[in-house]
Amino acid sequence: MKYKVISIYMTGMLLFTCLESIIAQITNDSYRVETIKMPDGLTSETGAVEFLPDGRLVASFTRGEVMIYNTLTREWKLFAEGLHDPLGILVISNSELLIMQRPELTRVKDTDGDGTADLYEKVTDDFGLSGNYHEFNYGPVKDKDGNLFIALNSSSGGGNIRSEVRGQINPLGRESGSKGQMFSNLPYRGWMMKLGKDGKLQPFASGFRSPNGIGFDLEGNLFATDNQGDWVGTSPLHHVQEGKFYGHPGSLVWQKGWNRGNPFLLPIPVLDSMRTRGAVLFPHGIIANSPTQPVCDNTAGKFGPFSGQLIIGEMNKERIVRVMLERVGGELQGACIPFLEGNGLRKGNNRLVFAPDGSLWIGQNSHGWLGDQGIQRIIFTGKTPADIYSMNLTEKGFDLTFTEPLEVSAATNSENFKFRHYYYKYQSKYGSDQFDIQNVPVTDIKISNDRKKVSLTLATLKSGYVYELNLGDIKTSTGNSLNNKLICYTLNKLKSSSIN
Amino acid sequence: MLALLSIVQLYAQNNTDTVRTIKIDVLVGLQFDLVRFNVRPGEKLNLIFSNSDDMSHNLLITKPGTRLEVVNEALKLGQKGPEMDYIPNSLSVLWSIPVVNPNQFRTLSFTAPKQEGVYPYVCTIPGHGFIMFGAMYVNADGRMPELKDDPNIPPNRKAEDNTMLSNQHSNHPLNGEPQPVKIKPLHPYTPVSPYIYRVFIYGASPAAIAVSLPGDLSYCWDAGTCKLRFAWSGGFLDNSELWKGKGDVSAKVVGNVFFRDKTQFPFSFSADNKVPKLDYKGYKLINRYPEFHYTLNGIDVYELILPKADGKGLNRTFRIPNVKSTVWFNTDQSDGVKYEALKGSWEGNRLKLTSKEARRFSIIMSVKEGGIL
Repeated sequence: MKYKVISIYMTGMLLFTCLESIIAQITNDSYRVETIKMPDGLTSETGAVEFLPDGRLVASFTRGEVMIYNTLTREWKLFAEGLHDPLGILVISNSELLIMQRPELTRVKDTDGDGTADLYEKVTDDFGLSGNYHEFNYGPVKDKDGNLFIALNSSSGGGNIRSEVRGQINPLGRESGSKGQMFSNLPYRGWMMKLGKDGKLQPFASGFRSPNGIGFDLEGNLFATDNQGDWVGTSPLHHVQEGKFYGHPGSLVWQKGWNRGNPFLLPIPVLDSMRTRGAVLFPHGIIANSPTQPVCDNTAGKFGPFSGQLIIGEMNKERIVRVMLERVGGELQGACIPFLEGNGLRKGNNRLVFAPDGSLWIGQNSHGWLGDQGIQRIIFTGKTPADIYSMNLTEKGFDLTFTEPLEVSAATNSENFKFRHYYYKYQSKYGSDQFDIQNVPVTDIKISNDRKKVSLTLATLKSGYVYELNLGDIKTSTGNSLNNKLICYTLNKLKSSSIN
Repeated sequence: MLALLSIVQLYAQNNTDTVRTIKIDVLVGLQFDLVRFNVRPGEKLNLIFSNSDDMSHNLLITKPGTRLEVVNEALKLGQKGPEMDYIPNSLSVLWSIPVVNPNQFRTLSFTAPKQEGVYPYVCTIPGHGFIMFGAMYVNADGRMPELKDDPNIPPNRKAEDNTMLSNQHSNHPLNGEPQPVKIKPLHPYTPVSPYIYRVFIYGASPAAIAVSLPGDLSYCWDAGTCKLRFAWSGGFLDNSELWKGKGDVSAKVVGNVFFRDKTQFPFSFSADNKVPKLDYKGYKLINRYPEFHYTLNGIDVYELILPKADGKGLNRTFRIPNVKSTVWFNTDQSDGVKYEALKGSWEGNRLKLTSKEARRFSIIMSVKEGGIL
């Protein structure tokens, strides 16, 4: 029940943040949040956090600085400067980084060993750039074969393209008439791109609106989050596969051989049939409004019991989200649950990385949106969190596996498992309401012999819905309350012989 | 007659059938553009809430002193929040405008309370309510405290001036007088020229590189077009708008532009001035000065730009180590500078260099008298 905020900067914004944290949090004694002291004079809107092979942290910031933090001496040192919105770093060595900035992916290297970079070499700039404020670029991340992946934000309908752009303009990548939808007038805005070892940047997957966060799981699956808005009813986590289209139309004009005119004018059912749905939906206002980077817990237990699962940042709340996935009908789908809420954590959780010691470092950002600044660190205290470990679809309902054995009477009382389902519409309109909100009764409950797994039978199961589960006062056999009582499963596909 | 008219007008203004329209929009950074306004008790009002932000917002008007209570009740809606537009069932909520998505608007018609007081309005979307609010002053005499002393508006709106100072050369006196003002640093270090910002800037492609040189000289070299685009003196950049991140904005040039490239391309490898195929490669810092590297028709070119010895222009040193053909360096009379070169021969506005000369040569660009573009 103890936690300590090591230091809090009481900036105007943060003062309010703290007030809010006090209201809605459950104290979590399995994880502790520490705040890293940032250098004086730094506007620490954090675009990337990574670790060097020697154990130091490297971070990039909005005003173009790249700084290195020695976690032992707690000293910051400037490594590079002058970059344009650096939003991603891939570490090559202690003296060499690949940094994604607005105009290009850049190799930033200290060649003379003085500790600061002196070489800024283009790795690729083979994509369009209009000067529109929303053309953020994300990544790079590297697959097991050494290919790099970067994601290119669509351009904002709240802005325009400049008179001088880089790349060939295709006017069909923007809807005409009404204002506001994001667009793709220049090559590969709204795409995930693959940079092969031959140095050629190739289109990989399309349909992204604002994919502020890409990453791999331990099996090598590539993921990207996207942000709620036009054509994105609620923010998703996409399992990104080559050649697939993830829903935002503008980018389709850059698909090889595209001959169907302005994709915004295609009937929605046509676009809907082309798209791949999110593997996991984060219900807006419930789980996350602006999810960020997915990182896979590769700490083999150093960060607690969730090894192999994805941890994802959230901009708009003092929250980190956890995602558990499974394959159903050949595709990944699964559930999302708050991982850590409040406890000193700030908003704006933009970039995440696991340190060599298994702690999770978080770079915070706002950049004109809701968020915060600075870097924090989450440390596992060693006490197993009382939580849902996994949620798996069965033919009749869901299996919930917990991190610890449960006290049986509450865990077998259907009153403590309140399901409702709803779906989000695929539409040009900004976001989506929840449709067909209905409570779904639990008709049968079984608990396993080890009291860790509860099997729930639901009255109905439908594909295309989010199943939101609110848990009642369930306790572990040692009397601990659960850290999280809300979990949302995205049911894209039913198990083969599910009831309907 | 005149007096009569004024009386009629006065009555018209006080006529409660007249509906006054109040417009509220959203600014970047979770703010209403209008943070307070005054209405008369019982006045009929039409509130238009438009949202030019790229997040969704709602607007609730609450009873005096209940803003935080309502914000917290909205938070407690939890997963019911979205379907209720984050509007709690509370007696403290007097009127509400449901969630307005980006680029949409909604209107609310209501009659101001008879009871004088300060009625807060607030966006109750989780996270917004603690900073995104304003105050409706209901009273007959139109009184409101001084903006700076108003406890009912967000603290950052009490002073309307922008606190983000943007003069890059903070150690330089402005208007000839030392400025004792306390300046918020732009970086965790004091930038020392030469230094670079990659920025969006007018007069270049979006892949621009701006460089500050010693002596208050600056230039913009464009990685999108592989050439020096323009140069200026008297300051560097104001990035304050650019760094806010939201909205189509650019870095602003501080000082006077004395050179602007007017050529199709500065180099050609044939007499017909054909623009070679360009490929930007990067830059290496030499004593902190960037030496740009690019290829023209596959031939490596290196370009290092230093201040001219007298500080009144630029000294550009090019290396084209592997060139096998004649090289033309093109200029334009109207670009603002005079040219000198120690190698090659001028043919009108073009400098012709043999392949041997082109391996390494310098071009000196001097500001023309009165040369401000």
